[in-house]
Amino acid sequence: MKWVANDIDMYLGAKEYVDTVVLPLFPISFGDDIKQTTSMTEFISLLSIQLERQFKGRILMLPGYTYLKNNSDDVLVDDIKRWEAEFQNQKFNHVFYLTSDSDWRSREESFDGTLIWLPSLPLESMDEKYRNSILEDQVQQLIHLFVKKWQNND
Amino acid sequence: MSKQRVTRRQFLNYTLTGVGGFMAAGMLMPMVRFAVDPVLQHNAAGDFVVTDKKISDLTNEPVRVDFTFDQKDAWYTSEVTNTAWVYKDENGEVIALSPICKHLGCTVDWNKDKANPEHFYCPCHGGLYTKDGTNVPGTPPAAPLDVYPYKEVDGYLALGKAEPRKEA
Ligand code: FES
Repeated sequence: MKWVANDIDMYLGAKEYVDTVVLPLFPISFGDDIKQTTSMTEFISLLSIQLERQFKGRILMLPGYTYLKNNSDDVLVDDIKRWEAEFQNQKFNHVFYLTSDSDWRSREESFDGTLIWLPSLPLESMDEKYRNSILEDQVQQLIHLFVKKWQNND
Repeated sequence: MSKQRVTRRQFLNYTLTGVGGFMAAGMLMPMVRFAVDPVLQHNAAGDFVVTDKKISDLTNEPVRVDFTFDQKDAWYTSEVTNTAWVYKDENGEVIALSPICKHLGCTVDWNKDKANPEHFYCPCHGGLYTKDGTNVPGTPPAAPLDVYPYKEVDGYLALGKAEPRKEA
């Protein structure tokens, strides 16, 4: 389910079925890496749309956490911890973070949720057919990951 | 989610019937269209989308067919990809099923779950459907999978808008 009124109504009526929350992490920078952060953000947001469509009934796809890429590790980790505390309050069994920003990999042990890191692909330079099939591939991998995680905990 | 659209379509139908006759409709349509154009477009005259699947290539085994079309959502046009599971039944009749689980809307897969071969399986809460789309009692979904109306266009499969199956 997405963070839109209709879906949230559905969520409120079926909470016990929605045990998974996904928070995409979107880096923003205006410096030299402005283009990289753009494609990371673009790539992850496209993927999250597809992923949400696959698992509409079981995951809550949040609009995403947008942060300044040059923030210190401490600030970012603290923030994520606060999110995580809230997810726990809300009784989500599975918490996933989805990002292309590799900086998160070194921060991963500081929090409990599962970090899924996917290197962003230069989608803008691909023609549409190719782009879709690449995305589709990535989504299949994600699906696999999610299903596996669910099976291990069920 | 589509509740609103249906209501709008019904509204339009009533309006058209009420006014009656081609003349009135002919006059009214452009005006109505002008007013609610984007909302209306999406439902325009049973639009079928031609897929890249040849009808003659279909077998008894459901295959995944993706098809893309432009969807107008208010004033924005976006490209939407839909998926159908398509096969021919014993009588050679084409069956095209929507992959959207009737429980809470996840996407079902054919023959993917090892414990449930030859079924449509929903990975979210274990929803099951038989090959013809009928929900298996005891699993969460309470209705069969929606069915796409289809047409043949130059040998290729064309699909309309998925509809709930009438009989339970
Ligand atoms: S969404 Fe398919 S079983 Fe719940």
